[in-house]
Amino acid sequence: MAQTINTEVTRTDARRKVTGTATYAADETPSGMLHGALVCSAIAVGQVTAIDTSAAESEPGVVAVFTHETLPDYKTVKGFYAGGPGSSSFWPMEGTDIRYAGQPVAYVVAETAAAARRGADLVNVTYQEADGSIHMDPEDSFVVGAGEDSEGMVLTKGDLQAGLDEAAQTVDMTFTTPFQHHNPMEMFSATAEWRGDRLTVWMPSQSVRTLRHGIAGAYGLPETSVRVISPFVGGAFGSKAGITPYAMLTIAAAKGVGAPVRLIVTRPQMYTVATFRPESRQQFRLGADAQGRLTAFEHVEIAQTPQFGEIVNPGTHITRAMYACPNIHTEQRLARSDTNSGGFMRAPNEMQTFFGLESAMDELAWKLGMDPVELRRVNDTMTHPTEDVPFSSRSLMESYDAVSNSFGWDQRGREIGSMTDGDWLVGYGCATATYPTNILASNARVRAQGTGNAYVELAAHDVGTGTYTIMAQIAAARLGLPVEAVDVVMGEADLPVAPISGGSTTAASAGSAVHDACVKIAQQLATQISGMSEGPLSGVDPSRITLDDGTLRGPDGQSQSVMEALQMIPEGEIEVVGTFRHPALTDQLIKATFSGGYGTAGPVTPEFAMFAFGAEMVEVRIHKYTHEIRVPRIHSAFAAGTWLNRKTAHSQLMGGMIWGISSALHEVTETDKPRSRFLNANIAEYLVPVNADIREVRVEMLEEQDDYVNPLGVKGIGEIGIVGTAAAIGNAIYHATGKRLTALPMTISDVLST
Amino acid sequence: MKRFAYSRPTSVSDASDDAAEDGTQIIAGGTTMVDLMKIGVLEPEALVDITGLRDLERYEVGADRMRFGALAKMSTVADDPAVIDAFPALSDSLWKAASPQLRNVATLGGNILQRTRCPYFRDTAYAQCNKRNPGSGCAALDGGETGMHAIFGGSDACVAMYPGDFAQALVAFDAEVTTRGPGGTRSIPFADLHVLPGDDPHIETVLEPGEIVTEIALPMIPAMRNSFYMKARNRESYAFAAASAAVGIEMDGDTVRDVRIALGGVAATPWRATAAEESLKGGPLTEETAREAGRIAFQDAEPLEGSAYKIELGADVVAGALMTAKSRMGGE
Repeated sequence: MAQTINTEVTRTDARRKVTGTATYAADETPSGMLHGALVCSAIAVGQVTAIDTSAAESEPGVVAVFTHETLPDYKTVKGFYAGGPGSSSFWPMEGTDIRYAGQPVAYVVAETAAAARRGADLVNVTYQEADGSIHMDPEDSFVVGAGEDSEGMVLTKGDLQAGLDEAAQTVDMTFTTPFQHHNPMEMFSATAEWRGDRLTVWMPSQSVRTLRHGIAGAYGLPETSVRVISPFVGGAFGSKAGITPYAMLTIAAAKGVGAPVRLIVTRPQMYTVATFRPESRQQFRLGADAQGRLTAFEHVEIAQTPQFGEIVNPGTHITRAMYACPNIHTEQRLARSDTNSGGFMRAPNEMQTFFGLESAMDELAWKLGMDPVELRRVNDTMTHPTEDVPFSSRSLMESYDAVSNSFGWDQRGREIGSMTDGDWLVGYGCATATYPTNILASNARVRAQGTGNAYVELAAHDVGTGTYTIMAQIAAARLGLPVEAVDVVMGEADLPVAPISGGSTTAASAGSAVHDACVKIAQQLATQISGMSEGPLSGVDPSRITLDDGTLRGPDGQSQSVMEALQMIPEGEIEVVGTFRHPALTDQLIKATFSGGYGTAGPVTPEFAMFAFGAEMVEVRIHKYTHEIRVPRIHSAFAAGTWLNRKTAHSQLMGGMIWGISSALHEVTETDKPRSRFLNANIAEYLVPVNADIREVRVEMLEEQDDYVNPLGVKGIGEIGIVGTAAAIGNAIYHATGKRLTALPMTISDVLST
Repeated sequence: MKRFAYSRPTSVSDASDDAAEDGTQIIAGGTTMVDLMKIGVLEPEALVDITGLRDLERYEVGADRMRFGALAKMSTVADDPAVIDAFPALSDSLWKAASPQLRNVATLGGNILQRTRCPYFRDTAYAQCNKRNPGSGCAALDGGETGMHAIFGGSDACVAMYPGDFAQALVAFDAEVTTRGPGGTRSIPFADLHVLPGDDPHIETVLEPGEIVTEIALPMIPAMRNSFYMKARNRESYAFAAASAAVGIEMDGDTVRDVRIALGGVAATPWRATAAEESLKGGPLTEETAREAGRIAFQDAEPLEGSAYKIELGADVVAGALMTAKSRMGGE
């Protein structure tokens, strides 16, 4: 039996995807389906005073034009940050209020998509406009809750001022990060079909059960009356997590016209009808003694939030886990502006905060005259700096050592501006990455057949990362089957409970439930075959039979393969539901997950702090004449527990690093300040790297064993790749030029003007 | 998208007659036209598709002139060894524009007439845009984002930037366009084809209704062979210029006999830097004189908020383009 875990396995759906036969939600066309189109607000703040739909209604093919006055049976749900499943806590088209630019104000249904969009162009909306601001005012910020609350929004340990006073060197730096949008390749879409009181929704989703629970609740339907289907997802990154207004509008419109309706949101509309990464300010004050040991650590994060809700992605909870320090102060603050609700975008707590933290650490290293890697080394810790529990495992310096070796860090010139190549200035930079190991309850059903097959079913999602493949690998490894003999069914709310695909949890939590199901199959099988009159395990105490990757082993060397044993029992197969309930999951958290929510435990439990770690190193080049910033090399090393699939994991880590280059040098949702609009809402002007920007990308995947996080020892790798990149690039720019760039993205104009 | 009539004539005179009708637009590769129709910026009653005029796909690199039919594809011309040899800056300017997919369908005639990327022009949610809706105002100048707007040639009515690359190679080297319109055939110096926005930014060229660009031609001059197009941009490909320069030099020993400089990413129209050229003629070309030429090229720039960096950047790009052209010469 070939090894199936910790090896390179080509994704099982690769052929279907490259041949176009993998079915995405918007590929469904229920019989009689009509097409929807959104009309979005031209103003950011104010009131709708009139909507003239007559021209749209006269357009050939247009079936209906719904406004806040005419859309029947439109339901809404509570926003995520208010404890509900919604992507926002403000719902458009409930009345005349306009709270952000690009807010849906009307919904056109037509016989063709072209007619629906033309109809949308012809809807004439009149507004009364009020003043607004798309940007937050960081000077007008607040802490969610009241001061030193239980959520740790403000945390003080030791005496920060004393730590600064005693420091040999200090840094006091402020960084800013911009609005960013996810821009998944697959557009947002929703298709809704009502049959009486039964509803089916096809929609790309990171949480089909959240969708079903929320929609059923809103309409007062039993969950059994609502199907939510999301077989494949073409990229999500946090943008397809919650219930969006465009989904609920489509469901209502389908009811209103008495026919199935499909909406495909346009690319510009994708910038306003769902979430984004809020802009932020990161303030750091660090102090260190002459040996580099931190004496003071302060991080104040101010993140943008809409007027109507509090979007908290607590980055300070992550930064304060990084380095040993006796005197720590962190504050998690928000400041309001006139936008839709932000949300999660790949590493929502970490990307922007680690740009600040790791740039400030680099600055501190230069001030101390220390190698920045050594500064991390002297401040490494096996105990969480503020929670006083040990890390379940922490391979930060192993990562630095591995990437230093791979990258050739010892070739780095010691002085600023000391490395050149022709017309290019060259710089090296490094930065730390981390990501918390979040834990969620999950179930999974596995049916193993003696004919040499298995079926795995769970309401998890493949957001393009290879989840179908790793779930098959886990079952294949435990049951002793080739990967291709395992069928995996996911992406439907009717399947056994699995968590939201967010927070890098699916492999760890849902995968552990698949693992548990296989162990349970082995236990049942052991009981049955030990009671049989024949066979190698006949008469053996079943409690002493163990499962060893496809083989049942007795205490005295007896063994039988799982498949052979299945053939001996009369049913020829066993079907069980496996569960994952980590000891840190309280009843309340389990209940939250099982009712469609996000009941996460960790990263800090009463026993351990659970994080994955890594280190990144980059070479940056800056052209003498064009001042273009390019990244010819980016290397990294990560340790994140068990690697399930070294191919798909490598791709995820590499993808994260590439997105990090994007965040560092390219990505920004620009704004029109007077009219409070996002300005570059298209992928010609919202820059992300092209192939030519990405040159040498190397990932070292370190071995790490962690028996505490879950039975598989998996920490989750969906997001850590992006975390350190921007700071590593900024630090390399500093090495090349002596210019410390403190705002993302870092562009030609920044290296010129600093 | 608004419904429109569509015709695909097979003769230039038919095309010109069709295109002269009110509310009609000409379409060739469609990379600008279809884009602007989809976002509602252009709503023509009728499109005249000129891709049936196959004669206009021809081009030739002759001893005295280069001639490009208006329907020659960007990628075809950019890749032609004769073009690369005779006039590298022209090939560079095409190669460094757009993406492979766009270059494979976009035509040279359409390229020179491409519309601005000003975000206020391209989004009908903004009521103010004198170019899109004459007399409505300018959202960019009304407190908007102007980091990618023109620092040369703008007016109180419009500061939209001409976004093209290829046009800089044409304007620097005295190209001419031939047109065919209802009034017959005429020849227009390329430098006169585009007009400054002034009070009427919706008027972008001197072309009359129904007038079709049929050919772009350049006289062969020695500076072409030692030419280079340098483009500064925030990603390696598929990005508009933060600043660019098309340059060519002809040396007489250590003395500059002829030099051509045009600036991209900074002006309302294709922009030749004549004063910078004059500063170099008759003297040596060194890092110092190249940088001085760059400074002179931008001495009359009028930066807007967020675009001051283009002055320093543009000067450096001019210097870099000149030094690169010189260093390539040394290799011959």
